[in-house]
Amino acid sequence: MMGQEKKPIEEVLDSLDGKKKIAVIGCGGCSTVFHTGGIEEVNEMAEILTKQGKKVTPIGLPFAVFACYKPFSSMFVEKFKKDLKECDAVLMMSCGDGLQTIREILDEELGVEKPIYPATNALGVSGGGPAKFIEKCQACGDCVVGKTAGICPLTECPKGLLNGPCGGTRQDGKCEVDPEKDCAWNLIYNRLKNIGELDKINNFVESHDWSKVTRPRVFEREPLDIHKHLGRTKEVIESLGI
Amino acid sequence: MKANSNLKRVLDSGKFAVTAELGPPASTDSKIINKKAKILKGSIDAFNVTDGQTAVVRMASWATCLIAKQQGLEPIVQMTTRDRNRIALQMDILGVAALGIKNILCLTGDHTSFGNHPKAKGVWDVDSIQLIRIVKKMRDENKFASGDEMDVSPSLYIGASANPFAEPFEFRVPRLAKKVAEGADFIQTQCIFNIQKFTEWMKIVCEKGLHTKVKILAGITPIKSIGAAKYMKNKVPGMDVPDSLIDRLESVPKENVSKEGIKIAVETIQKLQQVEGVAGIHLMAIEWEEIVPEIIKSAGLYPRP
Repeated sequence: MMGQEKKPIEEVLDSLDGKKKIAVIGCGGCSTVFHTGGIEEVNEMAEILTKQGKKVTPIGLPFAVFACYKPFSSMFVEKFKKDLKECDAVLMMSCGDGLQTIREILDEELGVEKPIYPATNALGVSGGGPAKFIEKCQACGDCVVGKTAGICPLTECPKGLLNGPCGGTRQDGKCEVDPEKDCAWNLIYNRLKNIGELDKINNFVESHDWSKVTRPRVFEREPLDIHKHLGRTKEVIESLGI
Repeated sequence: MKANSNLKRVLDSGKFAVTAELGPPASTDSKIINKKAKILKGSIDAFNVTDGQTAVVRMASWATCLIAKQQGLEPIVQMTTRDRNRIALQMDILGVAALGIKNILCLTGDHTSFGNHPKAKGVWDVDSIQLIRIVKKMRDENKFASGDEMDVSPSLYIGASANPFAEPFEFRVPRLAKKVAEGADFIQTQCIFNIQKFTEWMKIVCEKGLHTKVKILAGITPIKSIGAAKYMKNKVPGMDVPDSLIDRLESVPKENVSKEGIKIAVETIQKLQQVEGVAGIHLMAIEWEEIVPEIIKSAGLYPRP
């Protein structure tokens, strides 16, 4: 998931200065999990902006409807075409990926070119939950964790070292940069030992291939059969008695 | 090996080597560099210049090396992978070698968050071990990291660091072995205050036969004040300062603390000379370079070969 946090409200209000009619769009994916752009947060933001004298159209996306996936998000956004046409600005409560996907829907599908501002800062690909999340992957395009006990040193180590820990690992095995965090290489060392692969730590790891992060990366894939997949989701939901 | 530095000469002859750190100024003040160089001249075999130590902006290591070199001392350029990618590193390696620098210490570098530009982006395109391999490939194979060939290759004696005190302790010797396997010719260690733990580490180093493949220079830092000792103990990660050392400094009158610190440094050097596999010392008298000649003389390491 994309870890994220809310931008300070002052920064959000500054960006909307002089704009009267605002469409606030959320995200039913990561932004809902991180409480930055779920339906509740979209409604809260609408309330704040209304108190500031603005006319607000809240567009919350239900859970599991990702703003960054056009087939999902466009279904919801399209319904508000009229409000979006009339608004002065869009406030997007998602990561930059969701924001830019919505921007494309507005520009290219709805023909509504509007200023769009972020209410969120994205903090990296982070897994975990329900409460604690740690950034685990930086989508480098050349995964190395097979050599490192399933722990990514490029992401978990602040220096991204590939051949073992720096000289700053603390006596308690914590990182020199943050005494609250475990040294990634201390974790890797212990886990390699536990899974019987400690000999791997002696292998030299070549300089990383960063050419695979040449941005932007563009891919084409066979479109998903949404109906088929949503059918499976429906089965899960029903099995949960919801 | 195509390296012909004075440091290599001393180490190869089996003499106990002495290197010392020369801290670069956070300005263009070349006078202070010359002053420090004059102080160190004659007491050491080569001097190191730190490369943005603690991620604080100071004069570039290579530039400071060249200024101090004019006083007739031999420099060891320190090169961290924090601020330069593999392209910039190789360009600098060509430059320092062409300008007559004969030793290089390959380092990862302190994290940007510790320094005076905490908003800077750390590079770390390669790590210190990958840098060692790059320098060795350039020197011994006349090839860049890319595999492209060069006509005249850098003649550099390759150094690396080692910290016997950081966790996981069991990995600290294998990590040294990795540096040696990739091409380190000499090692300069973290400051040693816990001699027992260092000796334990050296024992494993010798059991693995690494002391025959690489020259190990033991790191020494004379302590100037109780505050400095406590700072290193509590604030500098990877540093092992035993309480007994602080107790000893506290047991002498305040005006004698720095003298006691010098005494401890000299005693440490003498003890380390007895440890199997220790080929020399590296003195890191932080902003206290003027004390180096006294320590070297007291330790019986003067004159230099």
